[in-house]
Amino acid sequence: MANVKIDNVIKRYGAVQVMHGVNVDIEHGEFVVLVGPSGCGKSTLLRMLAGLEEISDGTISIGDKVVNDVSPKDRDIAMVFQSYALYPHKTVGENMGFPLKMAKRPKAEIDEKVGRAAKILDLAHLLDRFPKQLSGGQRQRVAMGRAIVRDPQVFLFDEPLSNLDAKLRVTMRVEIKELHQRLKTTIVYVTHDQIEAMTMADKIVVMRDGRVEQVGAPLHLYDYPSNVFVAGFIGSPSMNFLRGRIVSEGGAKQFASESGLRLPLPDTPAEVGAEVIYGIRPEHIGVGDAGIPVDVVVVEPTGSETQIFAKAGGDVIDAIVKDRISAAPGSQIHFVIDPANVHLFDAQTEQRI
Amino acid sequence: MKTLRPWLMILFWTFISFLTLFPIYWLFVVSVKPAVELFSTPDVILTKFYWKNYIDVLNDRTLRSYMMNSLIISTGNAVLCTLLGFLTCYALSRFNLPGKESIFFWTITNRMAPPAVFLLPMFLLLTQVYAIGDFKLADTRIGMILVYCTFNLPFAIWTLRPTVDGIPKELDEAAYVDGASPWKVITEVVFPLARPGLAVTLILTWVFAWNEYLLAATLTNFNARTLTTGLSEYVTTTGTEWGIMAAISVFTLIPALIVFSLVQRHIVTGLTFGAVKG
Repeated sequence: MANVKIDNVIKRYGAVQVMHGVNVDIEHGEFVVLVGPSGCGKSTLLRMLAGLEEISDGTISIGDKVVNDVSPKDRDIAMVFQSYALYPHKTVGENMGFPLKMAKRPKAEIDEKVGRAAKILDLAHLLDRFPKQLSGGQRQRVAMGRAIVRDPQVFLFDEPLSNLDAKLRVTMRVEIKELHQRLKTTIVYVTHDQIEAMTMADKIVVMRDGRVEQVGAPLHLYDYPSNVFVAGFIGSPSMNFLRGRIVSEGGAKQFASESGLRLPLPDTPAEVGAEVIYGIRPEHIGVGDAGIPVDVVVVEPTGSETQIFAKAGGDVIDAIVKDRISAAPGSQIHFVIDPANVHLFDAQTEQRI
Repeated sequence: MKTLRPWLMILFWTFISFLTLFPIYWLFVVSVKPAVELFSTPDVILTKFYWKNYIDVLNDRTLRSYMMNSLIISTGNAVLCTLLGFLTCYALSRFNLPGKESIFFWTITNRMAPPAVFLLPMFLLLTQVYAIGDFKLADTRIGMILVYCTFNLPFAIWTLRPTVDGIPKELDEAAYVDGASPWKVITEVVFPLARPGLAVTLILTWVFAWNEYLLAATLTNFNARTLTTGLSEYVTTTGTEWGIMAAISVFTLIPALIVFSLVQRHIVTGLTFGAVKG
């Protein structure tokens, strides 16, 4: 186990800079998820951690050792690739034992460790098969097995679940989380799926365009997103955003959207007249007898909850409620917003107010 | 597509097989008949076997050494070209070499002229230039292996490139992370996965060297003379020994047939390697 320190890391490809001074501190045994949209640099950062990509500037340390110029094989890390990268010509057992073979461990020790890992991952009966004879989930587990046999300081996962179907993804998510609880090894995990990030991470690093937007515990990011990007990225379905300004109504501050919609505000230091972005999560909107009148556009019942898309002025607002609502499209209902759940962002900087 | 009737297919392939195999059969017939019978009414039905041609060939020490030369030169050349071609393709595929596309194209330029163009320069190089003291490359096995490399290596690079490019780089990366050295990545991961392509390249370069006549006839006198050039020695001013030539030809065919049948499976996989995502 080791802590990992990413200090002001910069990555350039020729004249193009794709990573602009990234800082992340990862503690012993922490499960850290790097999340962000495609092209945000999360996989590049992971590959730099693995030693597969050069670092243009800054330092990466594993334990107390700066590893900028250390080759991948000497970093004591294990990586699970998106495509699993299993060696097609080797059996499951040979695949899992490969890192130990490279470390010139005695055969008895290799067999013992592979056997133990296979037992943990329920692969013991598949050790003589070839990767092409396995299902996606089994291949995924072999890739994980190959990583855990070495007992590395840090595990790196590069979107390991993205090739699996939705149901299997949930199962594997639980398995990876369980594995972490059992092994207590530091894990750095890359995904573009914010649900994966929220459910698995001790700490989430949200990235965009080669920069870290926010670092924090999943619920902290959910409750206190530091800017519009993080607020929109974390949480599903995405937060509603309305552009407008702060107005004064009978001495109390209110939000007036560009289309004229008036919404309640929490206590805020924002001045009257300030241009702001008003954010409210769909799950924080209720339906009541009184409130903001809206026209229903679409109602999507999923059984456990109902998602309502409704129009208020020119704005479309998305709400999710636990009740079964049978509102017909075009009919009018009332949305109820608790001001405590409202997020306000500066319209220019898009930072949290 | 509408499938043809089975008997029509059988008839078709029987005809094609006959067309392909009949000359070989006839060659064999010629090799097991005494000279006098060859010039009487041609008869392709074998009634008795006359093995003297084969015995003569096997008893001929010169021919035996020609056969050994052919085997050593072809095998040495095929192994050298395949290994060097593989390493070249690996470098072209995995490393950011400046101008690598130009390098790739440049390798094939010597195949754009007929081999005869290279005869004189090759002759001068081997007899005059590449010499250490009394040792010259002309009329040596190593000399012929190197000469054939100039033609076969570009060919090997071109046939192996799709194979090596088709092996995902992620496998190299996984091996690096698993603790493999660059050399181990090649020997443990890339080389075994390139086997189908390597087999094809090995065979095709081997066959080229085994069948080659022009360069061997010009650049060897006695020590490194090959079987193909040996054949021509039986065309003399006093006549042509057809029976002996046919027997030598059968001997020439046998190793090629054996090698082909051994790696036939790999050839088919190799030629289609990378055609579909597997």
